[in-house]
Amino acid sequence: MSHRWFIIPSVAIILVAIGFFAWGNLNKNLVYYLTPTEAVEKRADFPDGERFKLGGLVVDGSIQEDGQVVRFQISDGQTTIDVVHEGTPPQLFKDGAGAVVEGAWQGDHFESDVLIVRHDEQYRGVDEEGQPYEPPTGS
Amino acid sequence: MKKTLSILAPLAVVGVVIGFTFAMTAPIDAYQGIFQKTMYVHVPSAWLAYISFAVTLIASIGYLAKKDLRWDRIAASSAEMGVFFTGLALMTGMIWGRPVWGTFWDWGDARLVLTALMFIVYLGYLALRRSIAEPTTRARRSAVFGIVAFVQIPLVHFSVSWWRTLHQQATVLRPETLTGAADAPIDPLMLRALMVNLLAFTLVYATFMVARVWIAKLEDEREERHALENIEIAGAAISAPDFDGGFDD
Repeated sequence: MSHRWFIIPSVAIILVAIGFFAWGNLNKNLVYYLTPTEAVEKRADFPDGERFKLGGLVVDGSIQEDGQVVRFQISDGQTTIDVVHEGTPPQLFKDGAGAVVEGAWQGDHFESDVLIVRHDEQYRGVDEEGQPYEPPTGS
Repeated sequence: MKKTLSILAPLAVVGVVIGFTFAMTAPIDAYQGIFQKTMYVHVPSAWLAYISFAVTLIASIGYLAKKDLRWDRIAASSAEMGVFFTGLALMTGMIWGRPVWGTFWDWGDARLVLTALMFIVYLGYLALRRSIAEPTTRARRSAVFGIVAFVQIPLVHFSVSWWRTLHQQATVLRPETLTGAADAPIDPLMLRALMVNLLAFTLVYATFMVARVWIAKLEDEREERHALENIEIAGAAISAPDFDGGFDD
């Protein structure tokens, strides 16, 4: 019967882990990020300083590097939000890239300190004209 | 078993070498560059994890239906392989994510979190097996676990469609790619390289499965012998130290 001392804690740990993952973490973040349109709609729920994640496409030509700060615009094709990001963006951060920023509203713009680049499910080589595949642009 | 292995093992090695060649000569991704090569390990690992757990599911049902320990050995061996491939998928995913996403991990992403959960649950399956000494009790309880645990696999797979995630959606397991339509979201040469690697990984899985099931059979036979000879298991003789004599030093 000594194995019961092993099974019961194991099952308990698994249940706690499932509970933690399913309700503690996933539910809170069930929506992994808000689109710019949703972020503007829910502006009242997120006062300045209330952190959330904002995801969309980087508007072509909007990236300005300014010392420690990167300024750019993020868009879902409908709404565009100015983002001020503090930190070094990942290598693949560029015009038209999918991006998720974590931070908060600060007046009319979004201040972020976490910047993640999202890529889509397309995999393309360089095409016949030597033109690389361009992901959809948000502008 | 030995003969099957002597054919399968070299095939798997050749398959991996050919798979590596196809992966390295496939076009470089226009957006992600060289980092996208991780896909040729990451995607087959994840699929083989699904396949392994599916085999565990079928073998678990097989055991409950036939009460033959052969099914139990297949279920157990495949679960071990599944844990290995899940771990490999998690690791290569992190290696791929760091340069491309800019992060190793994100607890807000349903695909990542559910895959980690799948890893832990099947580790639990292996732990359960080690905790029961009696073979038929162990086989029965593990079979129930192996069937119930499978419910997560569709959850893991469809998480990228059901939730908004950092992880991109399915590329291959979608109608456009499966029907070979022109608007499939992957370069045909990349798809070919991926399929070659999937085949290579399947051969690796088959090789390890044959070897592991064989080992499991030997283990079961040894267990049976020990039961017949009534040999005490290792560690049974260890008892608490007796300090009745007092501490003299």
